Amino acid sequence: MSIMNSEEVMRGLAQVWADFSTRLDTVPILEKLHRGKFRLEDYKLLLMNHRQQVVEGGRWIALASSSIDAEYFEMRSKFMEHCITEHRDFRMLEDHYVSIGGKLEDIQNGPKNIGTEALNAFMFHRASQPNPLSLLGSMFIIEGLGQNKAGEWARAIRDQLDLKDEQVKFFLYHAEHDDEHMEEFDEALKSGILDIENMGRDIIKTAKITARLYQLQLEEIGNV
Amino acid sequence: MDDIFINSLGTFLPGPAIPSKDIENYLGHVYEKPSRHRALVLRQNKIKTRYYALNENGEAQHSSAEMAAKAVTEAVKNSEISKNDITYMATSATLGDVLVPGLASHVHAALGLPPIEIANFQSVCASSLMALKSAWLQLRADEHHCAVVTGCEFASRYFRPGFYEGVGQTEDEQRVPLEADFLRFTLSDGAGAAILENKPNARQLSLKIKWIDLRSYADRFDTCMLAGGVREGSDILHWSEFDSPAAAAKAGAFMLTQDFDLMKKMIPVWVAHYLELIDQGKIVIDQIDHLCSHYSSHSLREEAIVLLKKSGALIDEEKWFSNLYSKGNTGTASIFIMLEELYREGNLQKGQHILCHVPESGRCVNGLMLLEVV
Repeated sequence: MSIMNSEEVMRGLAQVWADFSTRLDTVPILEKLHRGKFRLEDYKLLLMNHRQQVVEGGRWIALASSSIDAEYFEMRSKFMEHCITEHRDFRMLEDHYVSIGGKLEDIQNGPKNIGTEALNAFMFHRASQPNPLSLLGSMFIIEGLGQNKAGEWARAIRDQLDLKDEQVKFFLYHAEHDDEHMEEFDEALKSGILDIENMGRDIIKTAKITARLYQLQLEEIGNV
Repeated sequence: MDDIFINSLGTFLPGPAIPSKDIENYLGHVYEKPSRHRALVLRQNKIKTRYYALNENGEAQHSSAEMAAKAVTEAVKNSEISKNDITYMATSATLGDVLVPGLASHVHAALGLPPIEIANFQSVCASSLMALKSAWLQLRADEHHCAVVTGCEFASRYFRPGFYEGVGQTEDEQRVPLEADFLRFTLSDGAGAAILENKPNARQLSLKIKWIDLRSYADRFDTCMLAGGVREGSDILHWSEFDSPAAAAKAGAFMLTQDFDLMKKMIPVWVAHYLELIDQGKIVIDQIDHLCSHYSSHSLREEAIVLLKKSGALIDEEKWFSNLYSKGNTGTASIFIMLEELYREGNLQKGQHILCHVPESGRCVNGLMLLEVV
């Protein structure tokens, strides 16, 4: 049995994050963005692929909430709050898609790429387990992207394609609104959940899996 | 394997301490205009005084090899050995005096030592720890019993007007771009040396090397600091593949530049490397008495500080030791120059632990070393 304290878990997550966030820049679509050679069709493709994951975000968090029993009801509240703030986000991506000349029905009916399928399957599987608090590891990764990467992507896409803020708002919004996440996260870790056997280890592992699958869905853009 | 000890340190800082207001008296004015980035850069790096191996006419007063040899001589003077006990020397530098042969040969010649084994390490700041690690392992493997390691830089010579004027990137505005001017007002000259032995000093404190851990992250980072090439998108045109050295120079191949945004992105991996060593038990925060970091605490962004606090990895500010502000940022020589001052003036006590941190933004390297005062 392994019991980790919040500092140990934070150290583990910081290492997963550093590895993930720096490897991400080598993924072809992001490498192209960094090179300054992004095309409008790249953005279209990114929106089409990303929407299929984001649309499921609110659902897996809701499922996870319902799998948390009364003993951890405060964490359940947190998950539910989180779900409310996220579950409409996909519509911003649809608006962006339409604003650059895409058809609404195309993005709404778009298939998931094979990486998104894997990520999604993992999230729903984990969310259906009893007390799936290890999903905090997934949230650390996904919110970390919002806080640390989304703003940079938004500005690069906007500038390279000569778009308005409104057309990259999903990414700008997350860069501006996810800044408290480290504090909140630390509070969650200190709420007593780390007394659950192997929880710290599982949070780190779940972060690692989420990071790997998230990268996979970006590597597999367009591969449906 | 034997324990290995840093038994003495020496430095050579050329000329007088130069206050920030006088920098351009030594480096000169590019296109005869004062730099527009000077104040901004000095505010950021907080360096107050530095040393240049140039005189006020921009003429070299020393070579890199000479400075390294003077630092070694100083280290020998401070030690319990004789110069001829040295049988292995590892040098480190960002750039030596010539392209061929390596700096170590010239330092050997300048020292006037009999035939010895040498090794030459060329990278940026972290080459200091690469050289130290080689000497540490040479001694541990019983190949040698006494080694010297040097770090030296003569950056200022590349910061003189002739290295910028007439270069493509400066011609339109007749100014040095920020990515070059930042280094121009940050880096300065100097040398440091450490004597290593397989036994501790008999008469004075020694620094036992517990471990040296170095890692490159070039698998995921583009080139951040560059000289000898010209960036073209994510490719680099090498100076040696232009039609002539003159054409390469005209294209800006010899202007030292740094991509600042890219450097900031390296911080999480440097921090992660450090956290990993904590998880491995190699670093125990409560046992660190001094942190010699080539990276200053004020340049860590707030979020990195928060992360370090939350993960129980923040070393108290009062334990951070640096003389970057008075001795300048001397690249690979810095860690030796810091350790020398800490050893001399830091009131070190037996049993204390010194953690040394040398990140390198060149193409992202991170190095850490733990010493125990014995």
